Amino acid sequence: MKSLDPRVNRLPKTDSANTAPKVPLDQFGTFEVFVQPKAGKPFQHEGIVHAPNLEMAYVLAKEAFTRRFTCVSIYVAETRNIHISVLTDGDDDAYNHVSEVTPEGEKTSFEIFHLFKRGKQHQHVGAVVATNPNEALWIASQELRTDKQVFNIWTIRTSDIRFTNQDDMDLWLTLPEKKFRDAAAYKGGDKLKTFLEASKN
Amino acid sequence: MNQEAIKELLYKMADDQLILGHRNSEWTGFGPLLEEDIAFSSMAQDKVGHSLALYTILNDLGEQDPDTIAFTRNADQFHNTVLTELPNAEYDFSLIRHFLYDTAEALRFEMLSHSSFEPLALVATKVRGELRYHTMHANTWVKQLGAATEESIGRLQQSLELALPYALGIFEPSPYESDLIKEAIFEGEKALEEKWKKKVEEVIAQTQLHLPKWETIAPHYGGRTGKHTEYLQPLLDEMSEVFKIDPTAEW
Amino acid sequence: MYGGGNTFEGIKSDELTGEDPIKLAEFEARIERGEKIEPSDWMPKLYRKQLIRMIEQHAHSEIIGALPEGTWITRAPGFKRKMALMAKVQDEVGHGQLLYSAAETLGKSREEMIDDLINGKSKYSNIFNYPTFTWADCCFISWLVDAGAIVNQLANAKGSYGPYCRALDRICAEESFHLKYGHHCVIYLASGTQTQRDMFQEALNRWWPPMMHFFGPSDKISVHTEILMKWKVKMGTNDDMRNQFLDMYVPKIWELGFTIPDPNLKKNTETGRWEYTEPDWEEFKRVINGDGPCNKERLEVRRIAEERGRWVREALRTPKTAYVTPLA
Repeated sequence: MKSLDPRVNRLPKTDSANTAPKVPLDQFGTFEVFVQPKAGKPFQHEGIVHAPNLEMAYVLAKEAFTRRFTCVSIYVAETRNIHISVLTDGDDDAYNHVSEVTPEGEKTSFEIFHLFKRGKQHQHVGAVVATNPNEALWIASQELRTDKQVFNIWTIRTSDIRFTNQDDMDLWLTLPEKKFRDAAAYKGGDKLKTFLEASKN
Repeated sequence: MNQEAIKELLYKMADDQLILGHRNSEWTGFGPLLEEDIAFSSMAQDKVGHSLALYTILNDLGEQDPDTIAFTRNADQFHNTVLTELPNAEYDFSLIRHFLYDTAEALRFEMLSHSSFEPLALVATKVRGELRYHTMHANTWVKQLGAATEESIGRLQQSLELALPYALGIFEPSPYESDLIKEAIFEGEKALEEKWKKKVEEVIAQTQLHLPKWETIAPHYGGRTGKHTEYLQPLLDEMSEVFKIDPTAEW
Repeated sequence: MYGGGNTFEGIKSDELTGEDPIKLAEFEARIERGEKIEPSDWMPKLYRKQLIRMIEQHAHSEIIGALPEGTWITRAPGFKRKMALMAKVQDEVGHGQLLYSAAETLGKSREEMIDDLINGKSKYSNIFNYPTFTWADCCFISWLVDAGAIVNQLANAKGSYGPYCRALDRICAEESFHLKYGHHCVIYLASGTQTQRDMFQEALNRWWPPMMHFFGPSDKISVHTEILMKWKVKMGTNDDMRNQFLDMYVPKIWELGFTIPDPNLKKNTETGRWEYTEPDWEEFKRVINGDGPCNKERLEVRRIAEERGRWVREALRTPKTAYVTPLA
């Protein structure tokens, strides 16, 4: 293969006849990524990464989701560990479908996320202490429910989340200075104007 | 302050970052998985950004502008360590090089954040978060692949043995070591090398990789004084191909 | 970057029979109200199938689209261009990542999609099968191919499927840098030396026909897509998208003193529509079916990348985690 791309010309030869199809689901786990855009703002669900474990998911999520725009912190949790309520519509609040649960076992902390508008992303609204996700939903309905309608609720055990450590808060320090990724750094107006004036003459 | 000593230090750091950033950018679009393709590219951009910041300090000290410095010199005028110019090979080598180099880089900048030469101390302080990510990324990957399958461990081991002599070349002593130390500009390559060895040992110990005894590895020196392998000049020719169509033009 | 050409299969008349009429009516009412469909909502099989097809093609177009511009990553002139191009091509890979995730919510795994790309079963935007001979070709893509993609993506972001719309919102926000950067590059070529101007004019001559193909076949000959328009899967006709692009960018190209290689190109002041020489749709078909200048190389590069990454992925697979469909 002779390419115009010098990088392609340097690629090693691999045997194309020998390319076996991928084994079914040659695929890692799925991890949901939450981003805090500014101090004081809630964490918001942004998307997923595929990774072999929580730590790798964190490392990969950082560049996949926070290399652009502003960010002060992220966290990730494995999709399997997210407990999901019903998705409602119209004026039906997802909490209408939550009923009281008797505590069972040890108490632990759960993070609660609300979907305030269909089509938008889930936002972190707080934490509750409960013995299981269903009880956490019930307690959230008592403690975190407001007048604002909720269409869907996610519940994640706090201990299942890979948070950003205090030490790592400076990971995003230079993000606002990376102007080369910013449309505002490419103002061609003056150059264009000079050019247009010169071409008139 | 000893300007020549400072310039020597800045040139070798900037050239390292430019050449390695350039090499790592060759992976963009070809990475082993999408998320890693993105992460590796970000770190390559950071590196080129660091070289620009350092060339800008050099420019303030009377050297030519960053584009001219970066895009018009020949291989024998570059002070990068040979490790950075070697071809990417397979991902195991690129990853091991990234781990060995960035461990040193993070420590160097940490030391320089206390430098008496303020412009450098400023840059060093500013980029600490970027370097924290680079080392976090490198350590996580090396620990993961260095303890996974027979193939991944074998590949990393082979690349480690190949890269180590060149990695020791990072610390090739400069003729200005004593001046830099005396004027509290930089604690010197020797001190950096010792810290680096400790860090490398610490990470490798958490894998199934084997680190040869340091005294059995002969450092590959020469890069700092412009003695390069046959790989650097073609890299520079490629990098400046468009720029040199007309170096006076604005692109 | 994606233009939307040849996205949909012909729809067989029996594909909607067998759907529950009450659920179908509720589904259509939700779309009619302007609400989004989420992965856990009921949806017709045809909707799922066509969406997977479209989002998957879009995702492939991003990662294949990284290649023609990637050709110039190691040669970008000067720091400013070097860093910007690295970041731009990286974004394209990132967009692929986001779009594969959106398609995954419909039940097809990323690895299946990548397999289908490499074995030629699924398509990607035709325009990336053309070569970038010079730096100016790369600038053409950064500016005008991205501009075309944005026209299409802004429209699709108003579609009905939640995860796709959210991915597109993010992508469009990132693309604003691409477009500005691309225009900036071209302004510098236009106002530079004669060599620089000639470089861009030649690139424009090469890229104009594929650019016209980018939005897909003329409505006169393309597959009927009424039901997909009603379901807000497809958000505008190919000709409408093409017209919108011409309206926004032809004046900007002319402003820079370049000649567009189509003597018939002009805006009809009465209809407000652009008139142009009918693009060669036979060539379009030929290229999409594999016979373009770079089809083989693009897929081969992707295949090599997968092959070289195989040991990494094998080393990362662990029994402790398992693939599950993303939530949103």
